[in-house]
Amino acid sequence: MSGRKAALEAALATVPDGMAIVGQVTEERVIWKSVLITFAKTLLAAIVGVALGLTATWFAVERGYGFGAVSSGPWTGWPKTGSLEADPYARAVIARTGEVPLGLAEGLSFTARTDETGAELNPNCDYTLSDPIPPARYWTLTAMTPRGALIDNAAGHFGLTSSEIVRDMQGKFQITVSRQARAGNWLPLGDAREFVLVLRLYDTPLSSASSSIGITPMPQLKRGRCT
Amino acid sequence: MSLRETFISNLPWIAGAAIIAGITHLTSILAMPYLAPKDAFARLEPAAPLNKLAVLPQGVPGQTLMPFEDPALVAGVCRYDLNVAPLRLRGALSGDGLLLFSFHNRFGTTFYSMTDKGALRGRLDVLVLTPEQLEAVEAFDPEDELPQELRLVAPTKEGFVLIRSLSPERGNLAEAKARLAQVGCEAEGNR
Repeated sequence: MSGRKAALEAALATVPDGMAIVGQVTEERVIWKSVLITFAKTLLAAIVGVALGLTATWFAVERGYGFGAVSSGPWTGWPKTGSLEADPYARAVIARTGEVPLGLAEGLSFTARTDETGAELNPNCDYTLSDPIPPARYWTLTAMTPRGALIDNAAGHFGLTSSEIVRDMQGKFQITVSRQARAGNWLPLGDAREFVLVLRLYDTPLSSASSSIGITPMPQLKRGRCT
Repeated sequence: MSLRETFISNLPWIAGAAIIAGITHLTSILAMPYLAPKDAFARLEPAAPLNKLAVLPQGVPGQTLMPFEDPALVAGVCRYDLNVAPLRLRGALSGDGLLLFSFHNRFGTTFYSMTDKGALRGRLDVLVLTPEQLEAVEAFDPEDELPQELRLVAPTKEGFVLIRSLSPERGNLAEAKARLAQVGCEAEGNR
């Protein structure tokens, strides 16, 4: 700035009608200032816009698989993720996580992050899963981390299948999800700090009627004792 | 200047930021399948030779090829590259158990899926090809009979077929693997 001032003084000394030039220079400064402010605001708007857009993307791919979720009680599934009808959000999520979702004709997969009451699943508690279960050729129940990794446990088993389940005289069953070994059908939780339950129905007639999933009775998931 | 005035005078930039946010969001969502470095294809490629069924290692905690895979399933993969040849999937399926087939494009999107029930009288015969290859194949079809194979046009030239076999009882992985081995993948010969 001092350089400009010196130049201005030099100009004033040589030119008789100095006042007009002072006016011009001031005006020029005001214009420069407003251009700079506009530029700064535009830059800020661009940065804020990009940041907001990327944040929205991050939230969109972290929470579920886009549109088309079907829920029944605590169970949520995205049947269309495994078909050509998968929306751009679903495609983005599976590209990012690298998972291969079940094809619609293969079966349906449901995830529970909460119990029946809506309280988040807590590995320090026992949970009981019981009838009813939708019709399917086979089904499996797996405890996984929220990112879909297997949970290490001393018993070395990670899931239960419909063929392994012990049923009572009426054909009813109960599965206990717990850290500690339990009699009957037990799904171990190991030392997981958080977990989700994944119920997969293989070769189920529900696939062709996925819009009715909301009214299809899904297994009950009740919280038991906590330690 | 009051807050309201500041807001109004800066409205063009606020609107601009909102528009840029929207464009960024949509672009990044649509671009993700093309940019994601660890999508299913990238994870499977090293384990999957071209046009050949490869049985994937069973997942153990801390070491799974893909997330959210059912530990009760044994998975096999056939990778195809239709620039090289169409993929033929063939097998005589017998015995109990469950076989699942899903056909994926380069970006992991499922373009077809079925179970072993889709096999015609116990015989599985599927051809994955491009629209041009389909035309060439159809040119050789006899006029008076329907093709005995399922022909699937793949949306991208590269991709993979994932075949999953259920082991209904724990410790019965060998049986599930044997069922998986009933399926064969090969490059379809020049036509």
